[in-house]
Amino acid sequence: MTYLDWASTSPPDLGLLVEAAELAARAYGNPSSRHGPGQEARASLEAARARLDAVLGCLPGAAGGAPGGAGSGGAVSGGAPGGAGSSGAGRVVFTSGGSEADAIVLLAALRKRLAARSGAVHVVASSIEHSAVYEELRLLEGLGLEASFVDPGPDGLLSPASVAGAMRKETALVAVMAVNNETGAVQPLAAIAKAVQEASKSLGRRTAPHFHSDAVQALGKLPFEPAALGISSAAFSAHKLRGPRGAGALWLGAPLEPLQVGGGQEGGLRPGTESLQGAHAFSRAAESADAALEANLAHARTLEARLLDGLARIPGALALPLGRTAGDGRYSPFILSAAFPGLSGEVLARALADEGIAVSTGAACSANARKKGRRVLEAMGLEEGLGFSAIRVSTGPATAPAEIDRFLETAAALYRRLKT
Amino acid sequence: MEILYLVKIGEILLKLGNRKEFEARLKADLKRRLEGSVLRIEYFPGRIFVEAEPGKEAFVEAVLARTPGINGFARARRVEKKPEAVFAAAVEAAREAAASGKARFKAESRRSDKSFPLDSYELSRDIGARVLEALPGTKVDLHAPEFTVFTEIRERAYVYADPEKGVRGLPSGSQGRGLLLLSGGIDSPVAGYLMARRGLGLDAVYFHAYPYTSKEAEDKVIALAKVIAGYTGGLTLWTVPFTETQMRIKQRAREDLTTLMMRAAMMELSEKLAFRVGANSLVTGESLGQVASQTAENLRFTNSRVSLPVFRPLVGMDKEDTIELARKIGSFEISILPYEDCCVLFSPKHPLLRAEVERESKAYEELELGPLLEQALKEATKLAVPFGVPVAAPSA
Repeated sequence: MTYLDWASTSPPDLGLLVEAAELAARAYGNPSSRHGPGQEARASLEAARARLDAVLGCLPGAAGGAPGGAGSGGAVSGGAPGGAGSSGAGRVVFTSGGSEADAIVLLAALRKRLAARSGAVHVVASSIEHSAVYEELRLLEGLGLEASFVDPGPDGLLSPASVAGAMRKETALVAVMAVNNETGAVQPLAAIAKAVQEASKSLGRRTAPHFHSDAVQALGKLPFEPAALGISSAAFSAHKLRGPRGAGALWLGAPLEPLQVGGGQEGGLRPGTESLQGAHAFSRAAESADAALEANLAHARTLEARLLDGLARIPGALALPLGRTAGDGRYSPFILSAAFPGLSGEVLARALADEGIAVSTGAACSANARKKGRRVLEAMGLEEGLGFSAIRVSTGPATAPAEIDRFLETAAALYRRLKT
Repeated sequence: MEILYLVKIGEILLKLGNRKEFEARLKADLKRRLEGSVLRIEYFPGRIFVEAEPGKEAFVEAVLARTPGINGFARARRVEKKPEAVFAAAVEAAREAAASGKARFKAESRRSDKSFPLDSYELSRDIGARVLEALPGTKVDLHAPEFTVFTEIRERAYVYADPEKGVRGLPSGSQGRGLLLLSGGIDSPVAGYLMARRGLGLDAVYFHAYPYTSKEAEDKVIALAKVIAGYTGGLTLWTVPFTETQMRIKQRAREDLTTLMMRAAMMELSEKLAFRVGANSLVTGESLGQVASQTAENLRFTNSRVSLPVFRPLVGMDKEDTIELARKIGSFEISILPYEDCCVLFSPKHPLLRAEVERESKAYEELELGPLLEQALKEATKLAVPFGVPVAAPSA
């Protein structure tokens, strides 16, 4: 199998899974219990949190305004002003995954709306958010929240001014993802956060809205230090970086009143007995990815160049966004969408699968709902036919250049044969 | 108490010359469909009595509701031909109907055994009186009753209320066997159902254009074939690979002709297959004017490629009516699953609406599809879709 669908999920690191399972069996107590086994589990859980804190650059004392290393391009960071989230180091809340981390923030806005009784609660989000944010917001609109969706430019990038321009006096939440899961577009979060701050001031507000970022495709792939970006919260998922499913985290740099309280675990933000297994494996996977970040990024850049070069040699095929070139820091090199005009992306993906090559059309989660599948590309103003013919190729640290070659050769042959 | 169903047969009774043959078919069909679920089936003129195995009621009812040739059926009480026994059974039947909140009723009786002391009028009258007496709150309403208590005095006395409707029509296979062009859409399964109830046995053919159409699309067609098999008593589903033919049409045909040429190729392939499997007709879900390929002129052209009769039971039906039927037979929810049955990339933006047989035949010949169609037929695969009916799991 030539696996080029790492943005959907990554092959987990078996060693980490085993290590985490063994730990969970050994430290079996409930972390909320005062007895020995409970305290042992608590210690392991906090060790996992500290590991993730370190990866996120938010260890107590190490936080605040430090620009993240820009590395070899595509860094989601930059000299950020002190935003709502940068007042302290922030904290990590373990969740069941990226979607839940997003939902905690979105549902806090719903709670605000319910508590407000009268008065609107408004949310600004990009129209290219992952379904975890986009579909949930559409649902919350029906429950009384007001939402404005901001389209990116043809390059897939949000302009800080357009996000700020959608704000209102009653905007409680701004949600912009860090790296788009279909185009790889790295959103200028620091600049957007700054624009949001300034817009708040000119709207005569005392505080800026909560600024949340779904950073599922950023963590462990690109330098990402939320506190330095001026954002208030960020969502992460373990399985995108060789960790297990069912584990994720919410980094929180600003207070939040959750809609679900339960037993008050995770600082009252994520009720439910903590999964030590998930938290441990996630933190270790994040740690490994972070340690190898520069090397992996360089590797991904090589693959990206190979892919773009090869695509350019397939008559008719186009890299998306149109005009994307290798080494462009505005895009994650791990993710690339390509259009094969005249051939449905779904058909090409199916034919590639028969040849033992795994790619996807749009997000794996939206591949089931055909009508929604092309939302991101259409929001970029891409002609419908092009979006329809797009597939997404995503790589990981274990992807070999030969696999890219095999994909290119096979895709070219299939495109020749199946194009209508 | 025995679990007895009184089954009414309908249109067969109108057949004078070959009524016996129709009856024999229905008997054999029912016996096969109900095998293992009934203790006995008894046949009388105009009536069949089915005694179900305990626990198999839901299955037996689902079968009776789907077997062509059956007009209706009801759970019945079989009692001695004595007025008191009949009255008691009638009151019980009414009690059950009234338990679901129904109040207005009438009684209807038939007496073929004239030795019974009450005639049918007297019997209905007395049953009405007994029910009113036993069940306060009920009320006779001859014009708009909420339930009816039926009594038939025959070999024995039978009492039942609220019969279920059958699909009516003619026994399966009494009209030979047709070949249904089955897609994943809403129309063709309904067309299959309508012809099945006319007594046409069916096989089905599906044109699979992999990888343009997905495996899920094929699974969907199989699921639809299962629904139809519940009416036909089982069928064979043929899957004909269509990709090469489709590609050739796309490459060589003028763009506005692609759909029409594809339809013509499908008809030709279907007829070849029909000859091979011994089908006497083709069945499609086409409806006049529904899409471009379904204008009178275009139907004339696609017809011109075949000599077998082409049955299009939906030709004069409104889409809403078709959807209603699709919901009724249980195919609608399957049909609307989001898997394409035919790649939209192959559909021209402005298809030709008024085909001319001579001109379009020439265009069709120029595609030189012959060898491709032969190859497609060689590679056709068949799947036996056995008879089955959906039955909800019995509640504990």
